[in-house]
Amino acid sequence: MTPTDPLAALGLPYPFELAFMQRALVAAVAVGVFAPLIGTYLVQKRLSLVGDGIGHVAFAGVGAAVAIGTAPIWTALAFAVAGALGLEWLRARRRTSGDVALAILFYAGIALGVVLLSLGDGLGGGVLAYLFGQPLTVRDDELVAIVGIGAAIAVTVLALRRPLLAVVTDEEWARAAGLPVDLLNGLVAIMTAGVVVAAMRIVGILLVAAMMVLPVASAQLLARSFRGALGLAAAIGVAAALAGLAAARLWGLAPGGTIVLIATAIFALATIGTRARQGLAHAEGEGP
Amino acid sequence: MGSAVSDARSSPAPARLLVEAHGLTFGYGREPILRDVDLRVHQGEFVALVGPNGSGKSTLLRLLLGRLRPWSGTVELFGRPPWALRERGALGYVPQRPTLTSEVPATVEEIVATGRIPVGRWWRRLGPADREAVRHALESVDLLELARRPINELSGGQQQRVFIARALAGEPQLLVLDEPVAGVDAASQQRFRDALVHAIAHHGTGVLLVSHELSAVAHDLDRIVVLKGTVQFDGPAARLASAGVSLGVHAEDLPQWLEGLR
Repeated sequence: MTPTDPLAALGLPYPFELAFMQRALVAAVAVGVFAPLIGTYLVQKRLSLVGDGIGHVAFAGVGAAVAIGTAPIWTALAFAVAGALGLEWLRARRRTSGDVALAILFYAGIALGVVLLSLGDGLGGGVLAYLFGQPLTVRDDELVAIVGIGAAIAVTVLALRRPLLAVVTDEEWARAAGLPVDLLNGLVAIMTAGVVVAAMRIVGILLVAAMMVLPVASAQLLARSFRGALGLAAAIGVAAALAGLAAARLWGLAPGGTIVLIATAIFALATIGTRARQGLAHAEGEGP
Repeated sequence: MGSAVSDARSSPAPARLLVEAHGLTFGYGREPILRDVDLRVHQGEFVALVGPNGSGKSTLLRLLLGRLRPWSGTVELFGRPPWALRERGALGYVPQRPTLTSEVPATVEEIVATGRIPVGRWWRRLGPADREAVRHALESVDLLELARRPINELSGGQQQRVFIARALAGEPQLLVLDEPVAGVDAASQQRFRDALVHAIAHHGTGVLLVSHELSAVAHDLDRIVVLKGTVQFDGPAARLASAGVSLGVHAEDLPQWLEGLR
């Protein structure tokens, strides 16, 4: 920890007392907030798997960075944005069904990534950090990029909450009402690509979509409004990130996978709790 | 109904023409499914569009909303082509949809508030005037008590009233409704009717209603338009009741409520 490290002043307790853990903490909490925010709109649009497809294209961007020897985050962002807009274009024009378009993106992305990697150093340890996530080795410049992309997404999502809600719940009405539906859908696609790239160093390309979907799946069981669902999904995302990082440090587990497993456990608890509450209400309704 | 409606209409100012379609012809393939269709809706007027399945009702609505361009003929909303419409808030649209399949819970109030977006710039924040319009719209469809409830917990009839409230929230001059009461119980149809009559009487809204189920509004309609590729009839409902079959409209095509008027 350097004396100029701003996080050092916080004097956080174990397991977050070390500088690398604090950087991981900031990055993971940022992902915990912004991935579920955009995920709420994707789930409403029934595009839960779209983050996976874009993640595979981002992998091609990582391969391109290795091949030409540059920082992966920006090439991954360029590939992911292009892939996301391409997918949205296919979806909006119904040139091909949603799952076929996603499949094309999945396989073309991975295949291109593997080929590009073979031009460089191949599947080295650096690449694994993008596939499976490794928040403990996040550098300062990466941290700035993650927090910057995340803040831009959070501000956009919150400022355009109503128009985005109108478009994802009823596209036909939104068009008749004169909303710029294509622009807003394109914006969601670009923000999704941003989330994938910002989160890939934390939870990994293979698990990035989980942070967009699992907290939202829990929130939609518990929340009673769209606004509440947005807030709750972000809160669950942050809780999973915090608990996952702490557990990873305590027991020496892979942080990305641990964060996602905790998000899964929260979903299981939310499901059981909701069922129990419904059962109770049902029993009371049938009572004497 | 409507002495209030009649009063609104007897005002000296000439009623503004909200919808004016003239000589519309359109088809998806080679054969036209609409031929030479004329349609007019004035301010404060309540017009029903009826016809059998495949008669071109939905296609006509898409032409009126600017989603399709006619092969020939002209269509204007508020004096402009629909695709060049600037005053989007002036058009309230209720799409055909029996139930909303909402994945993420959104409250009745949140859905109705989206109806304020076309009023002004779409990215602006909603203010006190918007909240008042939302409250008034909820009140006029008798949903104020359910404002905080997630919409996916509501019945089909209640959801349909939410979509009508969303259209009313924009304080539209013209309401276009596509089969809004399909599969909705009689009590809900009555509330739906009251909401439309309120909008016409108090706000001078013009209403174009596409529906098979007109029994709830039969006595409130100013005009009925029977469509079957071409316009078979355009006039007061009572006249259609006496002349329906002689117009070449098959008896089964006429909505059930006509039986009651005969």
